[in-house]
Amino acid sequence: MAILLYGANHQSAPLEFRERLVVPEDDLVAAIHRLIGREGIDEGLILSTCNRTEILVHGAAPAAGETLREFLRTQSHAEPADLDRHCYLHADREAVKHLFRVACSLDSMIVGEPQILGQVKEAYAKAHAAGGLRSVLDNLLQRAFAVAKKVRTETGIARAPVSIAHAAAARAREIFGDLGRSNVLILGAGKMARIAAQHIAADGAGSISVVNRSYQRGAELARELGGEAIMWERLPEVLEESDIVIVSTGAPHHIVTREDAQRIARQRRGRPIFFIDIAVPRNVDPRVNDLDNVYVYDIDDLKIVAEAGMRERRNEARLAEEIVDREASAYIDWMRSLEVAPTIVALRDHMHAMGSAEFDRFRARLGALSPEQQQALEEFRTALMNKVLHHPIQALKRSSTRPGSGQLVAFLREAFGLDGQGPTRGRS
Amino acid sequence: MQAALVLMRAALVIYAAGFVTALAAVLREGTRAARWTPRLAAAGALFHTAGMLSLGWGLQRCPLGTLPEVLAALAWVAVLIYLFVWWRYRVEVLHLVILPLAMIVLIISKILPDEMIPVGPTMQQSLLRIHLGAIIFGVGALFVTFAASLVYLVVDRALKAKRPARYFRTLPSLAGCDRMGRLSLLFAFPLLTFGIVTGAVVNDAKYGTPWAWQANETLAILAWLLLAVVVVARIGWGWRGRKPALLTLVGFGLVFLRMLGV
Repeated sequence: MAILLYGANHQSAPLEFRERLVVPEDDLVAAIHRLIGREGIDEGLILSTCNRTEILVHGAAPAAGETLREFLRTQSHAEPADLDRHCYLHADREAVKHLFRVACSLDSMIVGEPQILGQVKEAYAKAHAAGGLRSVLDNLLQRAFAVAKKVRTETGIARAPVSIAHAAAARAREIFGDLGRSNVLILGAGKMARIAAQHIAADGAGSISVVNRSYQRGAELARELGGEAIMWERLPEVLEESDIVIVSTGAPHHIVTREDAQRIARQRRGRPIFFIDIAVPRNVDPRVNDLDNVYVYDIDDLKIVAEAGMRERRNEARLAEEIVDREASAYIDWMRSLEVAPTIVALRDHMHAMGSAEFDRFRARLGALSPEQQQALEEFRTALMNKVLHHPIQALKRSSTRPGSGQLVAFLREAFGLDGQGPTRGRS
Repeated sequence: MQAALVLMRAALVIYAAGFVTALAAVLREGTRAARWTPRLAAAGALFHTAGMLSLGWGLQRCPLGTLPEVLAALAWVAVLIYLFVWWRYRVEVLHLVILPLAMIVLIISKILPDEMIPVGPTMQQSLLRIHLGAIIFGVGALFVTFAASLVYLVVDRALKAKRPARYFRTLPSLAGCDRMGRLSLLFAFPLLTFGIVTGAVVNDAKYGTPWAWQANETLAILAWLLLAVVVVARIGWGWRGRKPALLTLVGFGLVFLRMLGV
């Protein structure tokens, strides 16, 4: 039995191909039913997002890989050649590691983005509902969630802001701390302003006002954000009361001049004011940033902050990879350690079967034997096999209480050919 | 006396270790060193307390008789106030300012000559103690005001210079610094005022005049006036931000100079 993962992601396949692989949400439960109905598949889970479609199963090792390919082919009607070119198949340790990397958002387009963990949890819930999970995958997924949590708290892969809107919101928090008491003013109802405002409103702004040349459009945005639309003429007085001003009008000139800002700053008596100028051409005079307690960030400034955040996340991702690597090894090791008892039984059966077979082969050459001689030979065979088995079995028993037993199990299974390869098979 | 000296030295070494862990946490992000800083500071404060007690026991009097003793007490109170503020508000960056300040004060207290502050009759002595107590707690709280103002200016510069987010991670928000600076000043200022008034009463009893126009007294009154302006500006005129922070730094500088030249 093995854990296998088959599928394609944004790195291995272009969008046209990923589109074909997507399993629609309302078909997911049925698809899992179809999957676990196939031969050699014991448990199964399907993760299908815009960046990846991956099938995770627990099943009979060599057959299951082919079954998965076949399943995805009938599911998506993709050409076999395309599947072979764009899909990957991971087994055991590699499969576990891949799953952990996905859950930790290390395999995402933007490292550390938070959605993927939710999507994995969703896939888990769906598979659970469809009856696709039993002890092995259930346990593996729980482990994946725990590893994702650990990576999130112990590394900074999700910490630094990586988008312009995110960088603006992060900077606002660096100035005002808790945004719950800040007044946010949105000047101009452009698309960028909307995104930035949503980021800030998500943190719970004190109040949101929208001032737009066209009152109608301003009112729409205000409704959307749960704020208040205000007439353009009242801009000067609204500015005085605002802590965070998101500026993004289509005007080709400065809407907030240095003189305006100076007057506002004086009236605010040192209370900081933060201009987020995402308009191009800029709507806030850049010299405003030289005034005391006034901070101006234009789109390039925010881009620089976001790019630095990207670099930081990439650095942190290295730490995260180490954690994932360790955790995947530990998991496989633990899985193998569960196989100690079955391995002992298999080893004993295997050796005694081998002994009997060899004994039968040579028995004829000895001719007639007295019953005592016959019995002595039988005893000799059993005693020899038991002697050979003694140390490996003792070692297995000892190891079952210690970490690292998985490696011993794997080694012995391979050395004695317990998984269908090796001496017995070669001889027959 | 010997025991007190050893305990104080131990406190100094532990504070230094705490400062090193705080520095390590800033220079290399993600280290767990930062978690040790408050624990080390608390351990240092424990030794410091034992040192103060043992000093008082050895001298058989309140250990506020000489300038070095007063300074040792000031460093002790400053660390205790910092520990309280840390426990209450979890502002990590305070370590970086308060611990070295406390260390400097402790080291200076070792260097300065052990001259007794002249005292007269018993009434004066208890008044002197009240005066010193108020001043010590006032200046101890002012350490926090100083730290908050300094950090405010650092954060302000970083925001203007548009530094990446990583830079701000160990720093409190601008508004947080401002609030901390205001609150600690409102705590420190009445104590300092009371300290100066009682000081004048002591002077009056000693020299027959409340105000002798000596250099250090003038320094004290200048510092007090400056801080009074900040308090009025903050409460009365609603000032915030850079200006009060800058004025506070100057005011603290004057207070610090005055402390070294009682």
